[in-house]
This record gives sequence, structure tokens and C-alpha cells, in this order.
Amino acid sequence: MLEQIARVLCWLCVGEIAARSGLLPFPAPVTGLMLLYAELTVRGKLPDDLGILADRLLQFLGMLFVPAGVGVIAYLDVLKNEAMPILTAVIGGTAITLFVTMVVVNRLGIAIAKSRKHESGQLEGAEGDVNS
Amino acid sequence: MSTLSQLTSMTWANFADKPVLETGATVFAFLAATRISRLGGNHPLLNPTLLAIILISLGLEATHIPYEVYLRGADVIHFLLGPAVVLLAVPLFRQRAVIRASARLIAVGLAVGLPVGILSAVGIAWVLGASSQTILSLAPKSVTAGIAVGISEQIGGLQTLTIVLVIMTGITGAVLGPIIARLARIDDPRVVGLTMGIASHGIGTARALQINEVAGAFSGLGMGLNGVLTAILLPLIFRLL
Repeated sequence: MLEQIARVLCWLCVGEIAARSGLLPFPAPVTGLMLLYAELTVRGKLPDDLGILADRLLQFLGMLFVPAGVGVIAYLDVLKNEAMPILTAVIGGTAITLFVTMVVVNRLGIAIAKSRKHESGQLEGAEGDVNS
Repeated sequence: MSTLSQLTSMTWANFADKPVLETGATVFAFLAATRISRLGGNHPLLNPTLLAIILISLGLEATHIPYEVYLRGADVIHFLLGPAVVLLAVPLFRQRAVIRASARLIAVGLAVGLPVGILSAVGIAWVLGASSQTILSLAPKSVTAGIAVGISEQIGGLQTLTIVLVIMTGITGAVLGPIIARLARIDDPRVVGLTMGIASHGIGTARALQINEVAGAFSGLGMGLNGVLTAILLPLIFRLL
């Protein structure tokens, strides 16, 4: 288990160095995420302990935002003064995103399903020709 | 000195240099918030993170403890956010077969959902005259909070404001997702799940899991990939501007 903790901290460290040196503009943990994913892809399998560590920590991921989130009390004025644009942007923006994305992806899903049916239909047809 | 007098002579100062109180309070508040949320049938409006933030804020208000003092103590928990985001690679890796099997669907979902998510929020806020600080904090609103705070910092937004906006977005997506799917007559769980993950990250994913397992898996994928891609694209775009 300690080995897996070391692995995670190691990739996080590399991400931190990349971010602080200005090498990569991404947040350090995201660089760490990509490096860990790349390492797992190269290995081809997930170490058991790493899976357990991820499940345990991600189980209470929601708690980890609390300390930073409490900081919003310092910005209650901003939230109050700009309540209208903020609420409209959050609710309206999310509704637009959900609707547009769902409709487009669903069209594609139907198109893919149709083309698959078409392909398998042609195959069946071909078999029929052979049989006849 | 007897133990009793030692106990009675203890003051805030005895605790101030140890993070026990702040960490304990945070864990306790989140635990209480989780219970409250469960009592309400895990309704998205009863988001445990938001409830815990409110509980701690009320506590700080009541005890007149400055936020900076609390944050210094709760830094242990805050620190774990980094390793947790790195570990998001694990669920993504577990779903690699699904990613490969539905690559086209997922790619199109991200190609549409990622820019629409950012532009719709930023556009509406800009038109309605929000301050540039608020607009920058809004930009990563659809991304899972752990990644969103990093993006917000990179582009010059306010991390704490971003967290609250991210949670609000998650709640909105979790509530509206199934309603919009019904209105648009879409019942493919892959489509609904993927979209909810892209638009409303972990909170949307929790709701998608209630629809069914397929919706939950696609939602988790949408959240993870959208988080990583936004973290790569948004700072680059802002660097160019």
C-alpha cells in the first residue's frame, strides 16, 4: 500500500514541478492523473492496492472540497451582488449544455445503430446469396 | 498540577497550533451532512459537500474564528485533494474497454459538451454584466471540483468561488438532466449518462447512477475526460488571449 501512496505522490510531484516551472500550464494533479493513466496503460494492469487506495480516497472526495469551499464566506458580497448573472449562467448554461449535448450525441447513437444494422443486414444478404 | 486543573486551564491557544480541531470539525460536519443527505433520499439538493460548507461557515461565524485560522488547521484535508485527483486515473483506466467500444459517441459528446458548457456560462454571465473575476471563476464550472480549482487558479479566477459554482452546477445538472432527457425523448442511458457527466461532473454522475449502471459508468467517463480535457484546453486558450 505504501508503494502505491508513493506512486501517487511521485506523479503529483512531477506534475507540480511541471506546473511551477511553467513547462505545462495544466493544474499539477491533472498532469499527475495523465501520467498515472499512461503508466497503467504501459503496465496493462491495475495493481490491486492502487485500486483499493483509489476507491477509499475517492469515496469521500466530496469532503476534500469543504475547507476550500468554506472560503466563499469571504465572497458572499460577490454572490449577492451578482446573484442574477451567476444563477442565470449556472442554471441556463447547464440546461443548454445538457439539451444540446444530449440531442447531438443521441442523433449520432441512432446513426451508428442504423449503420451497424445496415452492415449486418448486408452480411446476412451475402450469406443468403452463398446459400442460394 | 492535577489533571482537572490542567483541563480547565486549557484554552483555544492549546489547540491553535494543532490541526485536530479544524480537521475533526470538517470530518464531523461532512459526516453529519452525509447523514442528512441520506435521510432525504440522497436528493441532489441535499448535496453533502454544500451542507458541510454551510455547517462549517455557521460554526466559524458563531465562534468568530477567522477563515484563515480554520484553513490552516484543515489543510490536511485540503492537501488530500491533489492525490485524489491523481487517483481519478484509476476509474478511467477501469473503463478503458468502454472508452474504446464507444469512442465515437464519447468523442462527439466531449466535442459538443465541453465548449458549449464553457461558452454558455461565460456568455450569459458576460451579457448580464458579471465582473471578470466572476466570469473566470465560472469558466470551469462543469468540471469536477478538484480539477476546477486548479483551472481557476491557472486562469486567474477565485478558487473558493469556483468550488461553490461547481457544486451549484452539479446540483442543477443532477436535477435537470433526467427532466431534459424526458423532454427531448432520449432514453439511451449511454447518452443521458455521458451528457450528465460532462455537464455536471460528480454530482450529475451520482444522479446518473440512480438511473442505471450503464448511465453511471458513462457519466463517470464524461466527468473524467471532460475534466482532463478542460484542464488542458482552458489554460491554453487563456494564454493565447
